Amino acid sequence: MSEHVPAPVAGSPVEDAKPSRFGRRRSMQRRKTVTFGDASDVTTSKGWMLVSLGGLFLLWWWFTRGPEPILDEKTFPSPFATWDAFVDWWRDGYRRASAWEHASASLSRVLKGMLIGTIIGIPVGFAMGLSRVLRGIFDPIVELFRPVPPLALLPMFIMWFGIGEESKVNLLVWASVWVMIIASRAGVLGVSGSKVHAAYSLGANKWQILRYVILPNALPEVFTGLRVALGVSWGTLVAAELVGAEKGLGASIYIASRFFRMDIVLMNIVIIGVIGALMDLVMRLLESRLIPWRGKS
Amino acid sequence: MKDLSVRNVSMVYELPKGGSVQALHDVSFDLEAGRLLTLLGPSGCGKTTLLNIVAGFLAPSGGSVELGGTPITGPGQERGMVFQQGALFEWQNVAQNVAFGPRMNRRKRSETKALVNGLLNTVGLTGFGDKAIYELSGGMQQRVALARCLANEPEVILMDEPLGALDALTREKMQGLILKLWKETGKTIILVTHSVEEALFLGDKLFVMAPRPGRIEKAYELPFAEVGLSTDPRKLKASAEFIEKREELLSMIWGMEEQIMGHEGGMS
Repeated sequence: MSEHVPAPVAGSPVEDAKPSRFGRRRSMQRRKTVTFGDASDVTTSKGWMLVSLGGLFLLWWWFTRGPEPILDEKTFPSPFATWDAFVDWWRDGYRRASAWEHASASLSRVLKGMLIGTIIGIPVGFAMGLSRVLRGIFDPIVELFRPVPPLALLPMFIMWFGIGEESKVNLLVWASVWVMIIASRAGVLGVSGSKVHAAYSLGANKWQILRYVILPNALPEVFTGLRVALGVSWGTLVAAELVGAEKGLGASIYIASRFFRMDIVLMNIVIIGVIGALMDLVMRLLESRLIPWRGKS
Repeated sequence: MKDLSVRNVSMVYELPKGGSVQALHDVSFDLEAGRLLTLLGPSGCGKTTLLNIVAGFLAPSGGSVELGGTPITGPGQERGMVFQQGALFEWQNVAQNVAFGPRMNRRKRSETKALVNGLLNTVGLTGFGDKAIYELSGGMQQRVALARCLANEPEVILMDEPLGALDALTREKMQGLILKLWKETGKTIILVTHSVEEALFLGDKLFVMAPRPGRIEKAYELPFAEVGLSTDPRKLKASAEFIEKREELLSMIWGMEEQIMGHEGGMS
């Protein structure tokens, strides 16, 4: 009798194990029978990210410059028109200011607002986390003011702080400070009793507990606060530059809209989106560098 | 070396909706320096409350605790603490965790470094100083907690279910380590546990505590910890004497649990 070698069966594990089109998944992941709802695999498919972006562009093109465009280029510019606007902007700037001047004007407003918001927010949040009395005093203030949208405050801020930079930066302070207070408070209150007790038993005094236990323990929450606050501030940018700004991405949108230059409007929207996404990417990289213990205890 | 003296300690918790719970009622005992006392009992018997009072985290509502004649009024480094888990500092590596106490006391860096290396050796973590806490298994994390506690040279080490979160095999290994540390350092240890076997094996003195109100029901002087290192622990735990004691304690605690259940059933 000859050896019987079984023919490979289609769909057998061996056959399945070849890498998929959009990059190889780890073999352990491939062997799982339950993947829906499994949060242990937090990698994102790079291939599908490209498909998503490509699809978006295809739709954009199809509705504006396709065989039968249903959108008017005057109100909804095509990818090509937007690209042309970008090239012009990149080379010549807009309204006597270079591309870099517009972008840096916006960035510096947001960063100044964030900086002040953080400098106020972290100590207030820490005070609220550490003291019952201060929690009682600040809690109604935070809960009352936090939901007020920055745009609603713009008229008053202009009255108080003038039409220049001050009112714009203060609006962005408003956008970030509540987030920072709440995140810092949560970070302080999140410290486990046994860590504090252990530190006291090891001879730490109150100041050392604050510096060496509560502060580092709150860092992950504070960092989440920074990320959220940066996102909210960047999103408030257009509102902050609504009145009396000559430079800035948000200001450019208003100026261009008055001349019905929708290509420039759309181009600035895309730039705001891309810079916002890049900033969050940088924050995530910083987070994995600075807080490697996050979510691992 | 300092003896510990607990005098008529009571603890009453006020409930937020009115009423109160007597967590400890008139507890008194003396513990000579160098003993290993295990506290055993059903939940609600006040064993952790007692430990927290000795640690100084709780002030008793009545009575007093003294260490070497000095009343305990708050936490202090002559009483080290080892928790079940989650008390290590994840933002520091293993060596930094162990060095925490000396650093708070502003000891010289060079001295501390030698001390930390020695302690890591003692608990079996040689070469793990640079590892992050989250890279270690549960058993190794408890080794770090023990080393961190020892770094401050405490008179008394208080352990609140230190092995409660570990798997059975790791737990047995760690019991051996605790016995070894006790023998080598000669420190006074008070260890709270839910495990009858652990309380018997580790305690050279054992209190069985009972609930409602929390009190010491029975005290034992035990021979097993004394020989636990020189004898095969499995053989010791399988010996007739050990099993007899184990069953005696188990039925006592079962009795208490049934009483609690009956009591609660009667109330509803």
